[in-house]
Amino acid sequence: MRNWNALVRERLGELGLKAVQQEEIIAELAGHLEDVFKALQAQGLFESDASARALEEVGDWGVLARMLHRAKREEGNMNQRTKSVWLPGVISLVVASPFLMILEKVGVRPHIWGPSGFGLAIPLPWLIAQPAFGALGAYLSLHAGGDRRARLVAGLFPSLVLFGAFCLVLVMSVFVDWSVLASIRFVGFAIYICFWVVLPGLALLLGALPFLKQQKAAVLAGN
Amino acid sequence: MTNRIRSKIARGSAELAILALLAEESLYGFEIAKQIEDKTGGALRFNLASLYPMLYELEKRGWVKGRWETNRAGRDRRYYSLTPKGKRKLAPLRREWRFFFRALDRLAGVSHA
Repeated sequence: MRNWNALVRERLGELGLKAVQQEEIIAELAGHLEDVFKALQAQGLFESDASARALEEVGDWGVLARMLHRAKREEGNMNQRTKSVWLPGVISLVVASPFLMILEKVGVRPHIWGPSGFGLAIPLPWLIAQPAFGALGAYLSLHAGGDRRARLVAGLFPSLVLFGAFCLVLVMSVFVDWSVLASIRFVGFAIYICFWVVLPGLALLLGALPFLKQQKAAVLAGN
Repeated sequence: MTNRIRSKIARGSAELAILALLAEESLYGFEIAKQIEDKTGGALRFNLASLYPMLYELEKRGWVKGRWETNRAGRDRRYYSLTPKGKRKLAPLRREWRFFFRALDRLAGVSHA
């Protein structure tokens, strides 16, 4: 009777994994080969033929060892969430932010929204460009295999970052300046959120929308 | 069709096959390979080298979970079952493949071939 454990251990070599993992893999693969061997014997094959046929299950042991190592090792620095959410989102943000600075540099006048004294200035070309940034984030996420939620977050990333920044400023302002009435502070915050987060967010969503509808299967072949 | 595309499709279909099987019951590697071969009339076939790296990948993603148990023959085998995350993944995977085959059917009429 063949010692399948010893055979797998010898042929597989060192996998570069934790000892416990390696032992578990050896035991599991040996068990599989044993089951195949027994099934072949039950079909009437002689021991030597059954053994040879069972080993054909593996093919190249070196290739198998590499595949097992890759499958079992811990995720690298860039896991799926990094690839499908953070990276596309940051790229979209990195492209969107300098665009606003460039507009200011070239002297694009901000558009005043709302009644005088109560409105906020937003550069209209920047707002118009938002769908392109939303599309960029969502497209990169889709390409990285992101699901619908990942694509949405990547598309809205610049607005989400801005929202986080405003929240931070609001919390800090409470500690820095107590004299401003809370109601005024929150109204101001709401207006800022509306003009710098919600409006651009809607524009980003508009750009991301085509990539949210798209099924992953549609890019299955192209990935 | 390039080898890369073919490999993507093969990999995706293999994942679906394994998850769909494990949605019904917990199985160990040899049983998974045997059932897939039997249920597809031999059209899909896993050998050891293709099955285990995929099972470990699925386990790493948290879609399946392996647990050592004793089988009917009294041997210790690692039984795989679907995790709640794997169950949630199965429905969209099925939808994606249905969508993919419908698209392919519209293009090439494969279902009438």
